[in-house]
Amino acid sequence: MIRIQAVCGFGCGSSLFLRMKIEEILKEHHLEAEVFCGDVATCTSTGCDVIFTSDELGTRIKERSKVPVITITSFVNKKEVTEKTLGFFESLN
Amino acid sequence: MSSIIKTSNIRIKEKAADWEEAIRKAGTVLLSAGSITSDYVDNMVDSIRELGPYIVIMPGLALAHAAPCAAVIKSDVALITLASPVYFGSANDPVSVVLCLGCTDRTSHLESLSALARMLLLETTVADLAGASSAEEVTQILLST
Repeated sequence: MIRIQAVCGFGCGSSLFLRMKIEEILKEHHLEAEVFCGDVATCTSTGCDVIFTSDELGTRIKERSKVPVITITSFVNKKEVTEKTLGFFESLN
Repeated sequence: MSSIIKTSNIRIKEKAADWEEAIRKAGTVLLSAGSITSDYVDNMVDSIRELGPYIVIMPGLALAHAAPCAAVIKSDVALITLASPVYFGSANDPVSVVLCLGCTDRTSHLESLSALARMLLLETTVADLAGASSAEEVTQILLST
C-alpha cells in the first residue's frame, strides 16, 4: 500500500486539512493509499513513498528527502490537489 | 473541543495592521477563554518567522497554531475576521480570516478538527466567513456547510 505523508509545521494543524483533501480525491478516483500526518522536523525520517506539503515547507524538505516531495499552494484548490495526486500515481506506472 | 467554534470564541472585523497583529489578536481570544498562555501566542508568531507563512493554507485563511505543549491549557479553537486583509507573504494572500488553534497533544482533537476542516475545505466558505457581520452569522455559515 502506498504511504503518503502530509506534512506541516507541527503535524497537527494544516497537515490534517491536506490529508483530508488527499483522502477525498483518492476516494473519488478509487485509488488506494495510506495518508498520515507528519511535521517538518521528523518527516524525512518517517517511512513513506511521497511527501505532500505546502510551498514554503517544501523547499526545506526537498533537500533532505529520499522520496518525492510534492508541494501544494492552496489546500482547498481541488483542481491543484487532484492534478498533483493523480500525477504522482501516474508516475508510479 | 466541540466541532464548531463557540460563539464566544469568534470576533468579527478585528483591526490589525499586519500579520503579526492579526495572529496576536486571534491568540488573545483563546487567552481570554483560558485555553492558552501568552507563551503560546509568542510561539505562534515565532513559528511563522521561522517556517514562513505556510499556515496560509488556502486563499484568505490563516490557520495559526504552534506545537502542542504545556502552553496549551485545553484544546480549543477561535476564529477572527479582519476589518481589512493582511499580508503574510504567501501565494494565498491577502488573509481576512484567522483561525487560532491550540492542541494539548497531536491526536485527541483530530475528530473535531476534521469536522471543522471539512467545513473550511469547501471553496466558498472562507469568502462567506470574511463577509459575516456577526459571530452568530459565522456559526450559521459553518453549520450550513
